Amino acid sequence: MLNKDAVHAIIFQALANVNDERGPDEQLDISPATILFGTDAVLDSLSLVSVIVDVEAAVSEVSGRDVVLTDDRAMSQEVSPFSDVGSLTSYILLLLSEPV
Amino acid sequence: MLAKTIQGEFINLRPLQGSDAERTYNWRHSARAKYLNQGAASVEQQAAWIASRPVTEYNFIIELKSGHAVGMVSLTGIDTINQHGESGRFLIGDEDAVKGTPAAVEAMKLIYELAFDQLGLIRICGTVAADNHLMIKWQKYLGMKEEGRLRNHLYLDGQFQDALFLGLLVDEYRKVTLPRMNFLVAAGRVKNELKPTAQGN
Repeated sequence: MLNKDAVHAIIFQALANVNDERGPDEQLDISPATILFGTDAVLDSLSLVSVIVDVEAAVSEVSGRDVVLTDDRAMSQEVSPFSDVGSLTSYILLLLSEPV
Repeated sequence: MLAKTIQGEFINLRPLQGSDAERTYNWRHSARAKYLNQGAASVEQQAAWIASRPVTEYNFIIELKSGHAVGMVSLTGIDTINQHGESGRFLIGDEDAVKGTPAAVEAMKLIYELAFDQLGLIRICGTVAADNHLMIKWQKYLGMKEEGRLRNHLYLDGQFQDALFLGLLVDEYRKVTLPRMNFLVAAGRVKNELKPTAQGN
């Protein structure tokens, strides 16, 4: 089972992958409080998709189960999973805590 | 060519016009345009290029609802016999203005609606520089399939590089692309805070 630190690490790597494609003056500050999408966010929709794709792939690989972050359930959460790194981490841990 | 603006929720697509020459010239010569073909050498040449666009092309400026121009996108190569077209010239020129908003995805959604729903095309295709990893990942997530690799197809930043040839069929658009685009557009509506409940709590 992935824990909070492991999920954080996966999301940080996904954000680092975005940084790899950006110039030195355009680097994202990566932390648990990094706002992903919405008001005051650091990502545009191009970069958000990159994070979604990389996080889904890494979580699925490490956990051994398919994880989908972009469905109706994600949008129905009280707090958007893409608000910040913390909310995305919480949503992933919620998904992984449920029976297959 | 469509002479009217296409309205979206977060952005509009308005037809490219001569007065966009300086803005689009600057975008095309920014670092973000490094994966596009080399643009015009001067604002005057850019204006001439805009003026010479054939009526068969749909060239748009992406505007926020405030009217602020943030990018450009086109639908070209429209073949009404074989019912296909090419999406391209896609560039977000003002990245800061679109952070946290689904401007790019909604712009492409409006292009696909024009292509598939209004013009009745059954296929959209295009090329992406092989080193443009974010764009390739984005297009594939949104349903595009890699159909080929064009070796040394592009001369960018002083060297040749491959281009990936990507294609999307109308059935794939409806099954895969549209739901994912709708999700991303909806994500732009969500506030980063607790949603109020029905009781207003």
